[in-house]
This record gives sequence, C-alpha cells and structure tokens, in this order.
Amino acid sequence: MNTRSQVNLCIKQASFCYTMMRFLLPVILCGLSIPAFCPVAKAEQWAQWRGPDSNGVALQQNASTQWSATDGIRWKTPLPGSGISSPIIWNNRVFVTASDGVALNELHIICLSRQDGKLLWHRRLWGTAPTRYHGTKSSMASPTPITDGQHLYAFFGTGDAFCVDLNGNLVWHRSLASEYGKFENRFSATSSPILFKDLLVVQCDHYGNSYVVALNKNTGVNVWRNERPDSWLSWSSPRLAPVSGSSAVELILCGSLRVEGLDPATGKPLWTVSGMRHECIPTPVFGHGLIYAVSGPKGPTLAIRPGGRGDVTQSHVKWEYRRGAPFVPSAILVGDYYYLIDDQGITSCLNAVTGKRAWQKRLPGGYTASPVATRDHIYFANEGGQVTVIRAHTPRYQQVARNDIGEPIFASPSLASGDLFVRTSRHLWCIGGQTN
Amino acid sequence: MAKWLAIVSTLLLANAPGLHADDIDQWLSAISKTGAGAAGSRAARVAADQLRDQGIVILPRLLDAMDTPNVVAANWYRTVFDDIVQVELKSKSPQLPLPLFRDMVRDARRQGRLRRYLLDFLDRFEPDFRQSWIPGQLDDVEFREEAVAIALEAAQQAKQKQQPDDARSAFKKAFQHARREDQVRAAADGLKSLGLDVSIVKHMGFVTQWYLLGPFDAPGKTGFKLRLPPETKVDLQATYTGQDGNPIQWKPYQTSDRMGQVNLVQAIAPVKEAVGYAYAELESPRAQEVQLRCGADDNLSVWINEKIALARLQWLNGTRLDRFTATVSLRQGVNRILVKICQGPQHKNPAVSNNWSLQLRFCDKTGAAVGLKPILPANSTP
Repeated sequence: MNTRSQVNLCIKQASFCYTMMRFLLPVILCGLSIPAFCPVAKAEQWAQWRGPDSNGVALQQNASTQWSATDGIRWKTPLPGSGISSPIIWNNRVFVTASDGVALNELHIICLSRQDGKLLWHRRLWGTAPTRYHGTKSSMASPTPITDGQHLYAFFGTGDAFCVDLNGNLVWHRSLASEYGKFENRFSATSSPILFKDLLVVQCDHYGNSYVVALNKNTGVNVWRNERPDSWLSWSSPRLAPVSGSSAVELILCGSLRVEGLDPATGKPLWTVSGMRHECIPTPVFGHGLIYAVSGPKGPTLAIRPGGRGDVTQSHVKWEYRRGAPFVPSAILVGDYYYLIDDQGITSCLNAVTGKRAWQKRLPGGYTASPVATRDHIYFANEGGQVTVIRAHTPRYQQVARNDIGEPIFASPSLASGDLFVRTSRHLWCIGGQTN
Repeated sequence: MAKWLAIVSTLLLANAPGLHADDIDQWLSAISKTGAGAAGSRAARVAADQLRDQGIVILPRLLDAMDTPNVVAANWYRTVFDDIVQVELKSKSPQLPLPLFRDMVRDARRQGRLRRYLLDFLDRFEPDFRQSWIPGQLDDVEFREEAVAIALEAAQQAKQKQQPDDARSAFKKAFQHARREDQVRAAADGLKSLGLDVSIVKHMGFVTQWYLLGPFDAPGKTGFKLRLPPETKVDLQATYTGQDGNPIQWKPYQTSDRMGQVNLVQAIAPVKEAVGYAYAELESPRAQEVQLRCGADDNLSVWINEKIALARLQWLNGTRLDRFTATVSLRQGVNRILVKICQGPQHKNPAVSNNWSLQLRFCDKTGAAVGLKPILPANSTP
C-alpha cells in the first residue's frame, strides 16, 4: 500500500467514524434522555403551511397574547432577502425560505435553532425562472416549505422544487420551469406543497400551461401529473381532506372557477364544484366533515361535503356565504366557528355548520397574512405589524389584546409548543414565555 | 490529526494532478447528468460528497462545471462549492482563487448567475472591484441594468450641476443601452428635458401602425374560442357583420402612445363582449429568430404568417409591457401579423374601467428593436 492509499484509507476510516457518530448520536441520546428530547408530540411541530391539520390551528396549546417589540420576545433573527413563506418548526429547528438578487433568483433555505434563533445552516441555491412579483406582498419565496422530519421540501416561485436533508444537504432538485415551461405569474407563485404518504404534491396554476404534479418524495420522480387546461393563474395551496364514513382521503385543489377533488394517490379526478372566482389565493380549511373554500375578492365561501363524483355543485354544497371574502388571507376554522378576514380588515365570524354570520368587525390595517389560532385565541396579523388577538369559541367579538411588533408582517405566523413564530419583513421573531 | 490528513491529501492531489483526475472527472460528470425528472440525483449525491472531500483544490474545476445552463447540475456543484468555501473562510487566512473569480466575472460568455455569484464573493474581499467595473458593462447582458443605472445617475447629477452637455451625453448613453422600461423612460424623459426627443417606439420595436377591425359580437367570454373570418383570410377590402348587426371594415390606425399601446375603446368602440382584430405587415431585412413580446386587455392571440404564434386566455388583467413572450421566426421580406383581442363583460364592480387594448413588439433577447419596417399592406386602399 503506497502513501496515498494509506492516507485515503485513513480519511475513509475517519469519515466512516464521523458518519456513524453523526447518525447514531441522536439515537443514543434519544434513548437515554427525557421524552422532551425524543420525537415530539404533534403540538410541538408546525411542519407545513397552516400547521398540523392545515387549518392554521394548534388546538393543544396556548401562546402569548401580549408582547411588544421589546417585551415577551424569546429571540429575533435577521433574515436575508425577502419572502412571505411561513417558518416551519420541527423539534429543535426552525426552517424558513427567502429569495434575493436582482431577479430574486437567489434562493435561500435557512435553518435556525428553535431555542435561541442562532443560524444552524444556510443553503443557497439558484432558481430557474423568476417571474414578476409584488414588491412587498410576494417574492420567489412565497410558498411555505414542508418537512416529514427526515427531509425538507421547498418550492419556489422560480418553478423549482428542492429536497434537502435536515442538515441542508441537497437530495434532489426539480426544475419544473425547465421541464414544463416557465411560470407566467404577476405576483409570483405562492402555492405551498403538501405531503401524502410518499408523494409531494405541487399545484402549478399560472397563465401558461397549468398542472398539478405528485413527486416521489424520496427521489423527486413524477408519480403522476395532471394538466389543468381550464385553470389559469391562482395561488391557492392543495390540501387533503378525509371523506366522512370511509377511510378515503381526497386531494382538494382550488383554482379558477372551481374546487376539485382528486385521488391523491393517482391524480384521478373525482368531483368538481363550480362557483369560485377566476383567481384563488386562500387555501381551503376542513372540519365538521366539510371543506370550506373561499375565493375573492368578493367571491363566495362554499362549504362542500367531500366524497362526490362528477359535478356535485348542486348536491354537495351544504351552504354558501357570499360576503366578506378575502383576496389573499386564508380563512380559519376554530371549533364551531369559521373566520374570514378580507384584505381591508373586515372580519366575519360564521357558524361553521350553518353558514350564518355570528359577528362582523373591522380590524385595523391591511391583511396579507392568514390568521392562526391556539386552543383559546385567534391571531390576526396586519401588514403594519400589529397582531390582534381575539377569544375563540364565542358567538361575540372579544378582543384580548393588540400588539405591535413594529415591522411589517406579510407572512402567516406559525405556532409550536406555545411559541408564536412571526416573520416580518426583516426578522424572524419567536414570541414566547407565557402559556395558560 | 484530521487536519493533517486533509493537508496531506490536498498536497498529494495538488502535486499529482493525474492521480485523482479520473475520479474527479467521473464525479463532475455524474453531476452534469442530473436534470429533468430528478435524473441522476442519487449518483450526484455520492459524487458531491466525494468532491466536497477534495477541499479548495477542487474549486476551479467546480467553477468551470457550474458554468452550465443546466440549473439542476449547477445547484449540485454550488452546494459543494459553498460547503468548501465555508470551511475555508473559517481559517485564519482563507485562500480563495480571487484572480479566477475576477476573470470569470468579466467573461460575458459565462452564465450570468455564476458571474453574479462570484461578484458577491469579490465584494467581500475586493470591495472596490464592483464600483470600478460595473459602469463599463453597458452592453453586458447580465450587468447592463446596473451600468445604465449608473449612467442615469451621472446624467442627473450633471443636470443638477447645470452641465447640459454632459447630462445630454450621459442620458444618450443610458437611452442607447437601456432595455428596462423604467430606465428607457427615465433616459427619454431626461433627454426631453434637455430639448432632445427620442422615440421609445423605435428603440423597443413596438408595432404602432395597424389595420383594425371590429367589434364582432362575442357574448360573455366566448370570444377567445370563436373562429371568425379574419382567422381564415385577411381581406382588407371585405365588409363583415359586426356587433348589433352593424357593418364593419378594416381601417388604418396609428397609435401615438409612446409605449405603443393601442386603445381599442377609442380606436374601435367602447363595447363589451366583443372581438377585435389588428393586422400589420412588417418587412424584415433578413430571416431571423426574434422575440414576440405582447400584452392585451382582455386577452389575445397572435398569428405570424398565418401560423398561431401565441394565445393566452385571461380576463381583466390589464395590458402590461412584455407580459407574454414567445420566440418566433420571421422571414426575409414581408411578414403578416394578425392579432385577435377579446373584450369580456363589464366587471361586476361598475367602477372598474372598460379597458380594451393591445401592446406588441418584436425585439432581440435583450429587448432591443430588430430593424423591422412597417409597410402598407398590398390589398389596402390608401
């Protein structure tokens, strides 16, 4: 064996030891330590757009209701570039995306320590084809990433989907814009991907050839892909909904003029409901056996019973409410009440079962972020940085607090274990310290 | 120990370049094969790990490899490059190949994203480089906008200092090289304020001389799919039955809008639920591949020499510059351009104005006019 071979052998052995320790150490520690360090309960994760149940709600917890830019802040960390994607939280890590550069085609995936907000790693990547975007209300980093605890999946308005491991190492990259055509969008794509079993589902509705694609999350390879010839620009995210009385799960897509149900495993179209507006931004919520879909501005909310076949507009729409629809913020369902906030702050609370309005109230400011809720409270963040906290589960408007963080908020907040994570135009803030 | 091993390994590699060359070539090649459908990802991951282990000696090879139009492969190389550089930056005296970075930034044949990436590095180590180099990049496809911005700034400063000759010269330079709308407008406005009129229409290649026909009746939003007579044959002498049974004919029209917009509400009629057509003939000095860039309110379809070149279904979104782009081929001599522009129903909100308009140009990849000359259609009646 010559010198070079010996050196290479040493390197390989050292590398093997390092690799083994890197993977085994957490397992060993987990086995020895208290449950808090082991895989954590659902309430401690916010792994995707709109949280554990895709409804924007963390029902098992409460969070701070009062803070300011200087009080009640656990940490805040500056972020590069711009973005309105929400942070996601998995165990002791917080992940967030951003974009910058002349055309916003410089993409960032950032991992912070949940404990203190310190940077753990920062992966920079190039995007394929940046589109037009709204100067303040969107960037190429508008879609929220998602994690299954093994990998992180990030989709960007440049038409790129990335899979990285939780240490930031690239696993695969799909340049959908190269393969299927550059996105034609005026506010940048915002649709956040979702996971269904081994599939990563990405909805790509734009002025050009729209489609929805399901990628094998491990390899990035297409499992199925549906053209959406009658859909054009929309920004809504797909979601899953169970079908009452069966084990079936349906993939729900909001797009131009209709809501659609598909078989998530195959992409097979199941049903459609007409009545949406041309451009859909909010993501539907689910509860009481119903999908609540809204499209605006001034479009309707449709409460749809999943499980149909064909055009079920006449048979599966339980109720329709024609006022108060937002253009951008998604609605939220908390218990028996469904809350809408439009872009100008008009907030409506409906009975989720009947669709009857319980109250309406104008909140200050303009709204891009979608509301989030804990067990007892709902948080409405306006573009000026004010967050109005109201009491949930009541038939009347009850304001608990209004807090000003002093920086514009366009991204929807996230919640995990009693901490509220707020992305402003400059920082990621962790608001914590009080639960009740 | 690990540090020592790494140093020995690096020295071996540096002193015996042929020793690892095959491996390195194979690893780089494995990554180059990534692309559509996530092909080659697994092999790329293995190769990336191997390349990362090589340390800074591999950076020049990585940079060459990153200079690829394959963005997927470029990202794989970049992750390796970044990881190596991050480690190097933690050392007391980082040894990065800055002269190579400079050469690659200057080389306009390289991928723009790679050049920008390296320029960002240079900002950290040679902060004066950008300031001294950018102003000269007025013809650089990647850095043109920054260079024009500097020229505009110089022009404004000269104007403020009451130096009209210098200001005019700088505005001229900016206008000549500007491709972005706001910069073109700013340069043209600057020149106008100094007594010099320039044509944005000519500079950007807008088509402004048309024959217009309409309105055809198209109830609701049916217009986009309707097949009306001009789509079969353009006959500038023909008379058709238009909306409300009125006879309609082609009529010449030239827009005076500085950005080449054609307001069909004024040029045809303030109607709703209708279809209009615009027709032009353009002479090209040679057969050439060019960019068709256009936008319309509500939607449009474009035929070039009787072949559909672009069709976009959209409603109520306004006419915006370069909203849609398609690469098209023009023949030497006369080229016939037919555009169909649909007008939808009145918006539910009566306050939303009843726009119906078109904007269309032919340009090169940078956005500059390509020397087309409008000509009078052969079967028109002057």
